[in-house]
Amino acid sequence: MTDAKAKKKSSAETGADAGADKGRLPLSGIRVIDAATFIAAPYAAGICGEFGAEVIKVEHPLGGDPCRNFGTPTERGDTLAWLSEARNKKSVTLDLRTPRGVELFKRLVVEADVLCENFRPGTLEKWGLGWDVLHELNPRLVMLRISGYGQTGPYRDRPGFARIAHAVGGLAYLAGMPDETPVTPGSTTLADYLTGLYGVIGVLLALEYRDRSGKGQYVDAALYESIFRLSDEMVPAYAMHGTVRERTGQHNLIACPLGNFRTKDDKWVAIACTTNKLFEALALAMDRPELATDARYGEHSKRLECRHEVNEIVSAWCGALTRDEVEAKCQAAGAPYSPLHNVADTFANRQFHARRNLIAVDDPVLGDTLVVPNVLPRLSETPGEIKSLGPTLGQHTAEVLEDLLGLDPAEIEQLHRDRII
Amino acid sequence: MSKKTHKKGHSRPGAEDPDHPTGEQQPAGAKSTERPLDGIRVLDVGNFVSGPYAASVLSEFGAEVIKIEYPVGGDPMRIMGTPTAREDSTLFWLTEARNRKSVTLNLREPEGAELFRRLVAKCDVVVESFRPGTMESWGLGWDVLHGVNPGLVMLRVTGYGQTGPYKDHRGFSHLAHAFGGLAYLCGFPGQAPTIPGPNPLADYMVSLYGVIGILLALRHRKKTGRGQYIDIGSYEAVFRQLDEMASAYGAFGKIREREGSGTVIACPHGHFRTLDDKWVAIACTSDKMFARLAEGAMDKPELASDSAYGLKQKRLEAREEVDQIVGEWTASMTRDELIEKALAADVPIGALNSIEDIFADPHFRARENLVTLTDPDIGEVTVPGVIPRLSETPGRIENLGPPLGNMTEQVLRELLGLSREEIASLHCTRSV
Repeated sequence: MTDAKAKKKSSAETGADAGADKGRLPLSGIRVIDAATFIAAPYAAGICGEFGAEVIKVEHPLGGDPCRNFGTPTERGDTLAWLSEARNKKSVTLDLRTPRGVELFKRLVVEADVLCENFRPGTLEKWGLGWDVLHELNPRLVMLRISGYGQTGPYRDRPGFARIAHAVGGLAYLAGMPDETPVTPGSTTLADYLTGLYGVIGVLLALEYRDRSGKGQYVDAALYESIFRLSDEMVPAYAMHGTVRERTGQHNLIACPLGNFRTKDDKWVAIACTTNKLFEALALAMDRPELATDARYGEHSKRLECRHEVNEIVSAWCGALTRDEVEAKCQAAGAPYSPLHNVADTFANRQFHARRNLIAVDDPVLGDTLVVPNVLPRLSETPGEIKSLGPTLGQHTAEVLEDLLGLDPAEIEQLHRDRII
Repeated sequence: MSKKTHKKGHSRPGAEDPDHPTGEQQPAGAKSTERPLDGIRVLDVGNFVSGPYAASVLSEFGAEVIKIEYPVGGDPMRIMGTPTAREDSTLFWLTEARNRKSVTLNLREPEGAELFRRLVAKCDVVVESFRPGTMESWGLGWDVLHGVNPGLVMLRVTGYGQTGPYKDHRGFSHLAHAFGGLAYLCGFPGQAPTIPGPNPLADYMVSLYGVIGILLALRHRKKTGRGQYIDIGSYEAVFRQLDEMASAYGAFGKIREREGSGTVIACPHGHFRTLDDKWVAIACTSDKMFARLAEGAMDKPELASDSAYGLKQKRLEAREEVDQIVGEWTASMTRDELIEKALAADVPIGALNSIEDIFADPHFRARENLVTLTDPDIGEVTVPGVIPRLSETPGRIENLGPPLGNMTEQVLRELLGLSREEIASLHCTRSV
């Protein structure tokens, strides 16, 4: 934290220093319109922005993107979530529920390469801004459409949030203790981020194809699908053998020991012995090398058979030591281990510092710096950058309407009076 | 390998047949048989999912993926999970090693390493997931490969990244969830942290960032001719997805804790049991949505008055009461009745689906999320379909995870021009 704060600067770049080529990021010259709300599609636009795209956020004139109210408010009103995730964006207000707003939006789309949206299917169509209309206006347009259930299928009109997607996609059912209430799989926004990632992939693929063919297209991504896709062999195992995966509490049953264990100082550590060799390393860390040669515990399948016993032994060992002591012993023996970091731990951790995973970025409106997660992924030649945090509502309305659409100040003034912007 | 054909009598020409999806996505109106990554060749020298899944996504959209495997046993993912009729392929392998050619090559031997360098000269992308320094120890580090092919894009996925004091530590998804801060948040307050599901989330997450890095780097290469490498640790992918947790600690010293089946920022927003002993998720993020729940679904409009629980602040203060009232209501109906009733009032609700539920769900069918392919050795195998869905250039699954070394000869002959005799002698020295 102090380290991050000390690096007070108005812009931030990622840790990869070699040969940064600032003016020529991979998406320099690409213009993205982000007409979406909250995190899913906006995160896709955000990644494009980190790697050089110009991102214009189009928001409703009253209150703007509800993400501005999602999470912890700052002194400037907008929440931390907004400041962090609307990084690098320009904010333009526009009421898409009015004919004049629709007309201006169409003119923006003509000037754009990519449009990101995550309204419920049919909403843009209702405003006369469906794919057919926009594609005709700009045949090279790439449109990212994220929704809870996708643009097709019987559930397409249902309201969707990440929590619902975690449930429908099959992850929520698997988190928690067996026979108890399933828990949130750690975060209520995983599906938003994951679908944002699939969204960027779709956009980059579509841009690639457009370079070659001149043709745009749309990408249809659903929150529940991203969650469902991360399920290793759950699908074929059910189809072939009827195996229904269940909640397994604090341990994973594919190997042993593979789970979370409490330490003497009431902290938690994760241990993952996926092979016999790794169990040998753990036995060494425990100063009980004989465990690895014991007929009951040496073999993977045997350990799984008596996993309660094995987990008891490991629990007892962890419970007698502090987290730091467990860490030191595991490190010395090469046993696969990690502390269960809370956020304070991540700020204190040397690896997070060395990798510059946390970066302090200045916000002139706030008059202070804010620590946010740094750009991912890390590219050696063209690292991404955070030039600014989330903009204030409508901060760039006049600039964009003048520069991009050629409106004059009087017209803009009139749009303000008519509450179009 | 052939895709499952539609059964006679069930399909009309030109009609969608949701009961029998194939590996090919066919969104309405898709016209192109071209794919965005046609002509891109990828060498996947990684193990398991972390890293290789990136190559899978590229393959789904047209790239040719050559999997390089150790001659004895190959990728250890081949024995992870449920065994099948083919000894070298579990179900896990079949589904996640889709669209690959398998080539065996012993990179630990100078001869194998030299062949690898020659392959790199013919490829656009290398994906690897060894511990930092391993490729270097075989003479296959970035500097060498970049020298061989200046346009090369190399994805390097590890547990902790290529730099920093933890770079040599062992990485697994379970450890990445812990190190990246997700595992700590999973479970009930004051109780043991549970795993966020037995699925290797981090392996997939880090691979998705890897795909993005590769596509960005290919774009940069198109402009400049220059390649580059992408360096990413699994824990970083996990940490990046935790919305404002880091900023809230940085600004206010706030430490996020486990929140059980709910969340501290909205109510009701969690998991509830139904009469038939199943579970639903309900997510009321605003007063308007709570009003719809109380009035339209629960028939208890009085709950939504300002003096009761109509205001978010009140609901958050009386969270246990509100959750209990909602829980009593959900327990009075079966899951399906409940979902129907809530949806009629436009309340965000969804079933906590098991994999059994998912197979029975009409929406998964309609979206072709479950795809059945026929493998000549194993028969029908159902796997998750391709996402994301592109309207003009949809993805494909041409085959499932291949037998070990099924394309060694073909690739070495066609790509490197090796003769049969040379390949035979490589077999003798166990280089392939």
